[in-house]
Amino acid sequence: MSLDYVKFSNGFEKFMPKEYRDMVEHGPFGKKVSVSQVGSFKEVLEEHPMCAGCAMTLFIRLAMVAFPNPEDTITVGTAGCGRLAISQAAIPFVYGNYGDQNGVASGLSRGLRLRFGDKPKDVVVMAGDGGTADIGFQQVLHSWFRKERFTTIMLDNEVYGNTGGQESGMTNRGAVLKMAPLGKKFEKMDMVQMAKVAGCAYVATVVPNNPRRVESVIKKAVLIAREVGSTYIQAYTSCNIEYAIPTDKVMEDAKTVENDRYQFTEYVSEEAKQYLTERYGYKEFLAKPAAAIPNKA
Amino acid sequence: MYLVADISVEICAAKSCKLCTQYCPEANTILYSDEMGKDQGFKYGSAYVAVDRCKGCAQCVWVCDNMAKNNAIKMIMIDQLPKAALTDNITYGEKSTTAVLASPVVG
Repeated sequence: MSLDYVKFSNGFEKFMPKEYRDMVEHGPFGKKVSVSQVGSFKEVLEEHPMCAGCAMTLFIRLAMVAFPNPEDTITVGTAGCGRLAISQAAIPFVYGNYGDQNGVASGLSRGLRLRFGDKPKDVVVMAGDGGTADIGFQQVLHSWFRKERFTTIMLDNEVYGNTGGQESGMTNRGAVLKMAPLGKKFEKMDMVQMAKVAGCAYVATVVPNNPRRVESVIKKAVLIAREVGSTYIQAYTSCNIEYAIPTDKVMEDAKTVENDRYQFTEYVSEEAKQYLTERYGYKEFLAKPAAAIPNKA
Repeated sequence: MYLVADISVEICAAKSCKLCTQYCPEANTILYSDEMGKDQGFKYGSAYVAVDRCKGCAQCVWVCDNMAKNNAIKMIMIDQLPKAALTDNITYGEKSTTAVLASPVVG
């Protein structure tokens, strides 16, 4: 797909909003940027009211940099911390009622396909663990079973951080929180396995302490969701307030948790592998050349 | 008064790992300028902080000390800044950034 269409008609530049001009002239609209160039271009995300040192913000920031075509992306969110940052970006944001986000995104992605045909418009759902695994669980699973073509990203902070620290389905067993003083009695929900059972074409778990990996995961998920089917990313984004992590130790905690129980995993369906290889030139899924057979003679 | 991050241009321009720009949770806050280091005779450019946006979480300090092992970032009180970067005057990819930093408002 050509990126040439994002430019101003001659003489009309001054009538465009300043924010949009900034995005085209100094930002990622109409060109390709990568995480390694961050700091030398204007980012889609802007100032936001999230807590200082929040790992969720870092993940959202990296995700916004990683979107393959931010000018053609619409984000959908729901109640939770994440929406405070996601809504402060130069791309459209749709706010679903609590738990509705995947239903809204299903309709949105179908509507955009009707309206724009083969010109890709990416729909990305970013919601917390409560919105995805607890309250929005029904609509999330239904959108996956129906193979709706959009990306679902769970910002898993393992707690209801916005409302004072209640346990969520994604909280670990035994975790003691401000509003769950007896400790959680059940295991953490295995949403990754559920996504695979429901037929997602791409499923990955990731921790934001490796920005390039986050970028690669988001890019693959969004590209696959254009044509193949639902994609799901589960990201560990610690809540430094509810889990009392000093802000300068947030990345240390992410590293510990990654080594402990949040290893990077990636599942790509055969159809998605073929699609990425043929359409976008990914080389990592090509069959490796057969090892030379040792000559015994 | 409150703390903000301050990056030592001498150390940063010698290494230029750019890790802090990738790990800052705030958007458009730790920026990178090629001219800043090279104009002072260093090999690479340097990262610098738009202090108006810095929330003082010190995540960049941990990354610089433990991942990059450069120890180039320190948290200091905003009124103690040797050089102040004003967000309003920062324009991306233009030389004016360096000009603002060269004539600090504070200190």
